[in-house]
Amino acid sequence: MTDNPSEPTDVSPSDDASEEAVEPSPLDGFAAELAELAGAERWSAEHGTLKLEVDRDRWTESVAALRPRLPFFSWLSAVDWSKETTVGEPAADVENMEERFEILCRMSSVTSAEAAIVTTTVPKSDPWIDSLVPIAGGAEWHERETAEMFGIAFRGHPNLSKLYLPDSFEGHPLLKTYPLLAREVKPWPGTVDVEDMPSTENTEADRMSASGDGNGDDAEAGDET
Amino acid sequence: MTQLDPRAAMHLSDAAVSVELATPEMTLNIGPQHPSTHGVLRLIAKVDGERVESVDPVIGYMHRGYEKLTEVRTYAQITALVNRIDWVAGFANEIPFIVAVERLLDIEAPERAQWIRLILTEMTRISSHLLFMSSYPLELGAATPLMYALREREHVMDLIEGATGGRFHPNFNRVGGVKPAAGGGSTQKKVSQDLPAGFLQGTRDAMDQIDLVCDELDELVTGNELIMARTKGVGIIPPDKAMEFGMSGPNLRASGVGFDLRKHENLLPYDRFEFDVPVGHNGDCYDRYVVRLAEIRQAVRIVRQAVDSIPSGPLQAKVPRIIKVPPGEIYVRAENPKGEMGYHVISQGGRIPYRVKIRSASFSNLSVLPWLLEGALVPDLVAIMGSLDFVLGDVDR
Repeated sequence: MTDNPSEPTDVSPSDDASEEAVEPSPLDGFAAELAELAGAERWSAEHGTLKLEVDRDRWTESVAALRPRLPFFSWLSAVDWSKETTVGEPAADVENMEERFEILCRMSSVTSAEAAIVTTTVPKSDPWIDSLVPIAGGAEWHERETAEMFGIAFRGHPNLSKLYLPDSFEGHPLLKTYPLLAREVKPWPGTVDVEDMPSTENTEADRMSASGDGNGDDAEAGDET
Repeated sequence: MTQLDPRAAMHLSDAAVSVELATPEMTLNIGPQHPSTHGVLRLIAKVDGERVESVDPVIGYMHRGYEKLTEVRTYAQITALVNRIDWVAGFANEIPFIVAVERLLDIEAPERAQWIRLILTEMTRISSHLLFMSSYPLELGAATPLMYALREREHVMDLIEGATGGRFHPNFNRVGGVKPAAGGGSTQKKVSQDLPAGFLQGTRDAMDQIDLVCDELDELVTGNELIMARTKGVGIIPPDKAMEFGMSGPNLRASGVGFDLRKHENLLPYDRFEFDVPVGHNGDCYDRYVVRLAEIRQAVRIVRQAVDSIPSGPLQAKVPRIIKVPPGEIYVRAENPKGEMGYHVISQGGRIPYRVKIRSASFSNLSVLPWLLEGALVPDLVAIMGSLDFVLGDVDR
């Protein structure tokens, strides 16, 4: 696209960086430094997204250590790595996957493209983590959202009440086991799209549906294959 | 006929001279249906006389659960969803998501498609900022600028509609390029599928008009004594607070932090064009207004250069018919009209993402409200809120 590629130059020590090693990655300069600053156990830089893995006990400490260098508090959220799913597709390697919550906190610089996602693992049996509100006030709403959506407790948060959901709402909607209630009542026509994709043969019916549903991106490409 | 209570008149005149007059604390509920809340935002304010003691924003009236919905939609379907997050900048919302998917797939859109994306993103920025130029003076009591700003905004909206088929929700980006223009039709591939005839010249003309309306707004609003009295020194956000709360876009730049993702991220070929990043000094409501007006002029500058240099070529890279994204994780952010908009996409190799975290600008921009409004005057409340230029769809997602 431009002459400044930030494409998947993988500088993670665990992965093979040989193929793209000739191209200087924009992460080269600071990834290791930030990892050391945060006291990260492991770090990865898949697709130009720097992730620093820290221990849950070091969570606030690591974020605080990065704050002077990455003062912009971008967002905080979680991922539910679940063996059981009621909606969507399951994770790639469900059998060997560890059931857990992954907490992500993104911070960035305001003078350069430096940025990092600090991440930690929270066991589902004991879902709590220290709140970042004393370090960055901007974490308050993000933590309230994460708490109601995943059921994770943020210790030391000043007011962990519901943010989006009604006060009487029960359950944590972003859990993989939480059903999409609208679909339970009445299957959405979109389900048909998800389950039965058009065949790879480009029939006339396919073309019509491709142009009709507003997702006709592949009609052209399909013709060429 | 009721008679005026003479004691009430006494009371009022007393208040004017005696600042020590005790006032009982009162809870003032604003919204959720109120024109100044740009949607459905509710504020529970505790006021002591004219002074706001604390504010508790209640959001979520517009929560549509997009993060959950992304887990049951294919990548192509999600484009239609993300359009509706910040509905005054629908086109700009699509770019970071589509680029995230393209990077995971290791596909790059052809140059012409990237130019079209850039032109339409900047036109979206102009349209979003012009809406602010109309609504903000209106909230301060000046109705005339609305007519000027919205009149010119219509030129931009027409062009966006002509190219994409949609005024607010273009749903125009495809993985690997942009949709063949409206009217072309994807089933008639022999028909030239490109920008509609006259689009480039129409854009040039519209940009001249936008430049003129910026001058008009300068005369009507920028130097207006009343506007300055209402906004200068009001709602000051120091740079460290702005960064702590994750405020981005014009709100951050008004506080003196000259950070613009267009200069640091390479989603679109911004490095081919000359433009400046307007920065404020005081971080008050007035600076937030001035920065946005200056950004319209810069966007016009970018669009003019892009229209003159648009390369020819295909609009769509070769992509598989069924898009299956290889396992991976990526965060892509872009400079939307309202600030940093980003998507953290986690793919597990299927046609549906495993998780998409949507980082919207207005959410963080609004989260500063309790801190910002503490101690503010009640008449300034609307002025401060309006200056943050949030959209509730972008807050609630």
